[in-house]
Amino acid sequence: MTDHQISWKRVGVNLFTVLARWLLGAVFVYLGLTKALYPVEFLKLLREYGLTQDAWLLNALAAALPWFEIFCGLLLLAGVAVRGTALTLALMLASFTLLVWYRALLLQAAQNLPFCAVGFDCGCGAGKEFVCRKLSENLVLLALSVWLLRGRGRQFSLRFTLLKPPAP
Amino acid sequence: MKVDRRTPVGRVLLEAALVAVVGAAFAFAANHVSPRGLALDRDYFPAETNDVVRVAVIAAPADSPAGTNPAAPSSLPPPAVPTTGKALQLIDGRQTVQLLHDSHLKPGAIVFIDARDEEHYLGGHVPGAYEFDPYHPEKYFPAVLPVCRAAEQIVVYCNGGDCDDSKTAAVLLQDMGIANQKIFIYGGGITEWSTNHQPVETGVRNSGNVNITIQ
Repeated sequence: MTDHQISWKRVGVNLFTVLARWLLGAVFVYLGLTKALYPVEFLKLLREYGLTQDAWLLNALAAALPWFEIFCGLLLLAGVAVRGTALTLALMLASFTLLVWYRALLLQAAQNLPFCAVGFDCGCGAGKEFVCRKLSENLVLLALSVWLLRGRGRQFSLRFTLLKPPAP
Repeated sequence: MKVDRRTPVGRVLLEAALVAVVGAAFAFAANHVSPRGLALDRDYFPAETNDVVRVAVIAAPADSPAGTNPAAPSSLPPPAVPTTGKALQLIDGRQTVQLLHDSHLKPGAIVFIDARDEEHYLGGHVPGAYEFDPYHPEKYFPAVLPVCRAAEQIVVYCNGGDCDDSKTAAVLLQDMGIANQKIFIYGGGITEWSTNHQPVETGVRNSGNVNITIQ
């Protein structure tokens, strides 16, 4: 591969990474806003997962998660602490995906349906969806988050890295 | 576990922890200042531990014309669970229709409470029903409590199906001193009501815009 080809490949990778960062940021701001504007609805949906019986903890989760998603989305859009934010989102997405998958299995058993025919509002911010579609969307977002961890595409970033390496 | 800031992985882990801490602080602050924010110390689902019993017969309000509130069908089963002082009383669509009919004969004796949010209430409710979103009760108590105290029977409903909001509203009314004996839950909710082509009023209470289906 010539230097010219390597250069174009690098430009392509950086462009893709910047677009991925903006897309991921915009998606999280949107999904966070849809929940933050209707927190009681989100609280009811979150309660259906049976994560906790403690009212304060359930309220805290329902109150904080939407705004936390908005916060992370804004960081990605602005290009601040990109890899730390991407790691945080990747961990959240992995947890949410497992929860949605587990709940879908329970609903599948209860309704005696094929797995992909199970549809419910997972509280993810997009309303009622079929589970296979939802899991696919989550996996795409998870892949984008993991991609951002590579640290490429630093263009259009306010402060890509918060923590500098200590002086030798 | 000690994270080494000198390595790239260590710095990403520390950065993620920083994002998590600052993000959590931002999230709770935003919830606190948001007019729609949740109150962390409130139990939004107080009806979880309440029994629900099916009511076979509803006593007619005093002075109600004879024959306007016939006994409910004898096919209704007896209470399925032991009743307690806080047990919620469930009625069906036929009983609810009868109560709406009776409410026209003696205004104020029978009150309907719509336990859904404002958007759904304005989209269509039982004619004359009061709006009472149980997740923002303080907003509705001034209008709802006086009529509930004066009423002899109160019918609370929400969407029906899996909706628990009517039970939540009923428990809130109990907590505010409304006698449980006069509170009834219409389990079928507005969905069953409109499916059965019962009258539905759109817009604000007593708007006069009554249809047989939700617009």
